Amino acid sequence: MSSPFADLLGTLVRQRGVMGGLVVSESDGIIVDATLQVGIKGNVVAALAASLFRKARLSSAAAGLGEAMFLTLEAEHGRVCAAGRSDLILVTIADPRTNLGLLRVEMLKGLEGGTLS
Amino acid sequence: MSVAVVEAWIEVPLRRFVDDARVMLALLLHPSGQVVAQHGFTRAVDVMSACALAAAIHASSGELGRQLEGKPFAGLHHAGQERQLFLAQVGTARGSYIFLTVFDRGSSLGLVQLYFDELRDGLARAAPPADEKGPTLAENFEGELNRNLAVLFGRA
Repeated sequence: MSSPFADLLGTLVRQRGVMGGLVVSESDGIIVDATLQVGIKGNVVAALAASLFRKARLSSAAAGLGEAMFLTLEAEHGRVCAAGRSDLILVTIADPRTNLGLLRVEMLKGLEGGTLS
Repeated sequence: MSVAVVEAWIEVPLRRFVDDARVMLALLLHPSGQVVAQHGFTRAVDVMSACALAAAIHASSGELGRQLEGKPFAGLHHAGQERQLFLAQVGTARGSYIFLTVFDRGSSLGLVQLYFDELRDGLARAAPPADEKGPTLAENFEGELNRNLAVLFGRA
């Protein structure tokens, strides 16, 4: 039986260079659903990305900027992107070939679509 | 962050866990309820109570796991309104230990599980071989417990 997030994750991982997509509980750092390439440590990414996004959200609120909605971590060999609004956050792992703009649009569309709210 | 240990080999892995996972309380004990390390407790009596309860929870959840799945559960998580509890077993060359930790919104279950895996590996690597003394016997349990509490709270 597929989860309510299967279609959203399927759309994201079909993008060029996207190595995995996860729906993660922000407060627990636990995977709700994920589609990952073999070898990616999903549990580790989920725990750390959720912690990062929570801190970004708190920083944004403390700075008076309102809700943090999208976060990109640029690393040597790729990017980790996270988007969220409620307790669930959407995380993608992408290599440098990925069209970040397109990925961002798809992730935000996933939020707007209400799948995560 | 202060970590108090009865045996020196526990200190480095436990300190790293406490620093990384940002937990409020951490306790390492023998399955008998004998404490060997703690972080975050200020009173010996609280450590004693927590150890007794953790040993009892571990024994009963382990048996429940054996009844349901033929083996003890790997870990136990309880989420309260503000604080959460994680309890799991650690295997080393010196035998098994129970690890109990309490955390709030400054951490998360995912982070605690992630760093617990590192703690378990770190303790397994750091543990010296088992000594000749063997497990604490019922007749000297209280004496050993009091000695360990005195070490942890600087009264030895």
